[in-house]
Amino acid sequence: MRVNQDYYALLRVSPGAGEEELRQAYRLAARRFHPDVNKTPGSAILFREINAAYEVLSDARTRAEYDQLLADHLNRLPALQLETYYSRSHLKKLGEPQLLYVMLHLQPVLEMNLISDAPLNLGLVIDRSKSMQGQRMQHVKSAARRIVDESRPDDIISVVVFSDDADVIVPARKNSDPKSTKAMISTIRADGATEILKGLHKGVDQVERNLEGRYVNHLILITDGRTFGDEEECLALAAEAHAKGIGISGIGIGEDWNDNFLDAIASRTGGSSAYISSPYAVTGFLNDRVRTLATAYAERASLVVAPSTGVKLDAVTRMSPNPIELSTDDQPIPLGTIDGLATTSVVFQFQVETDKADLGEFFIGRLDVSGEVLGSAQMQERAVEDLTVQVTEEHHEENPPPELLDALSRLMLYRLQDRARDALEEGNVIEATRRLEFLATRLFESGEEELGQAAMYEAQRVSQTQALSEEGAKRLKYGTRALFSSDDRG
Amino acid sequence: MQRCPHCNHDNLEGALFCEECGFNLQSDSQNTITRQLDDESNEFSVKSGWGTATFRDQNEVIIHVRDAPEPVTIRPQVEYLIGRSDATSGIKPDLDLTTYEALDKGVSRIHAALRRGEDVISIVDLDSANGTYLNGQRLAAHQPRLLRDGDEIRLGKLVMHIYFK
Repeated sequence: MRVNQDYYALLRVSPGAGEEELRQAYRLAARRFHPDVNKTPGSAILFREINAAYEVLSDARTRAEYDQLLADHLNRLPALQLETYYSRSHLKKLGEPQLLYVMLHLQPVLEMNLISDAPLNLGLVIDRSKSMQGQRMQHVKSAARRIVDESRPDDIISVVVFSDDADVIVPARKNSDPKSTKAMISTIRADGATEILKGLHKGVDQVERNLEGRYVNHLILITDGRTFGDEEECLALAAEAHAKGIGISGIGIGEDWNDNFLDAIASRTGGSSAYISSPYAVTGFLNDRVRTLATAYAERASLVVAPSTGVKLDAVTRMSPNPIELSTDDQPIPLGTIDGLATTSVVFQFQVETDKADLGEFFIGRLDVSGEVLGSAQMQERAVEDLTVQVTEEHHEENPPPELLDALSRLMLYRLQDRARDALEEGNVIEATRRLEFLATRLFESGEEELGQAAMYEAQRVSQTQALSEEGAKRLKYGTRALFSSDDRG
Repeated sequence: MQRCPHCNHDNLEGALFCEECGFNLQSDSQNTITRQLDDESNEFSVKSGWGTATFRDQNEVIIHVRDAPEPVTIRPQVEYLIGRSDATSGIKPDLDLTTYEALDKGVSRIHAALRRGEDVISIVDLDSANGTYLNGQRLAAHQPRLLRDGDEIRLGKLVMHIYFK
């Protein structure tokens, strides 16, 4: 029996549910998520958890024991609230697959006023390779010093620098002597090559020394280069770190670093990644990132999506805060730290087959979000939402909710640049140019003039040189991604 | 299937934006957030072609301000300031753009500079109020970028082309 699990939420019944109601709920869940019926990775996870829940709750003795342990918890409101928006509520029965978009808003329930008390356990992993010399290093150092200045005495800070080798400049410790920490940061000198794995190892090691539930454990990797030969190991290390409850965010400076690699690290750990074209922007970005961590409401949050049979999950994108395309291959999908001051917004794209569906209510799938609410009694909070639509004979005229349409119009821009890059990778220069031109048009339409100019410029470059510029590719990717959230905290 | 009226791409039923060209497939709906482009934005073209970046001692820079009758020919030294003169502060840049409606077009008094390197020439924005654009891309202040023959430079709203001779 895992007392930190909300079994009632898993079965979607109230704590007062009778035996019969429990059995019905279990049967329904088994029908939807049994591995023999439903092959999606998310449903396997859900089925395992639902089984464990039913095992405890179906036996009067173990249920009483469980209720006793959870007595306090069962009487209060859920700490996470889910709100969903559908692109349509009615699907016409068709012989071909159709798209359904769902936007999930995750809202912290702030009645307990829990935010911002959780101390940070923050590790900075700084690239000090030769190419960082000059302005880049100066700005990173002053950004790091500012973080030390703004941190609270209870926060734990560690600083690791790496080039061909890694050194712990500031070992993990409470921020009670910011002066000496800043002095040590000032000693960093740029030299050598970029080997991220070594730095990441030592960084994780430092944060790991203080792994406690009450901390927000996070590592920020700052680099301007590519690491060679150790990317796979870095990703494995990131997955390990995530399993231990450490999130990793990446910041790339300049144009030479590998964006797909930093994105992969961030999406494996619920972190974020960003592109900074000018060293001047380092301080602002780093500061924002740390501030979102400091207003954390829940940590180690993750999401399980279990589409029903006949439904395929195409894509999951976190729109805000910290926009990023999330990988659907591995479930649960890490969401990392949930900000207590902002709504976390995630968009799902499903492909639905309706040809074999009965008319009437159709089960699309289940969303299951869990995370540790900071400051509460170490309880794994859980919120579950079942997605359903109506399958009908006739076409239903309906307007998608403006929130969702707005989000999708932004996501569309990102997808266009993504598809242009895909075409280029396949060697299809004409298609890539065309897509970049379309992107430019849409950017101009949305008033994003500078980004539109950049897209035009890259379109011409591609048609002449068969390649995007490193700078342009990153600018378009992170530029369109930055448009995901209308607020400026993202 | 839904065919996009703009690019003829076949999208799955239920798509809201064409995946190929981004066209809003519910064009009759009024809900979109698209902001209108202001009429000035087509004024600036993106240059095509890649000119040489090599600039030797004997070369000259020809600056052709858009809509100006005569180009300006210069031989930039180590640092060549571009801006507009200002009597009050006594500022007099090497290239004074006052006669090209610099004030109206948002050119700063000290806007940008050309810098001579070894066989190259670069442009650097000097933290101007309205920015310096190289071929449509805004430059970060104080970060020099190499110039090539045929490049388009925009200071605020003043567009000019650079040629090497």
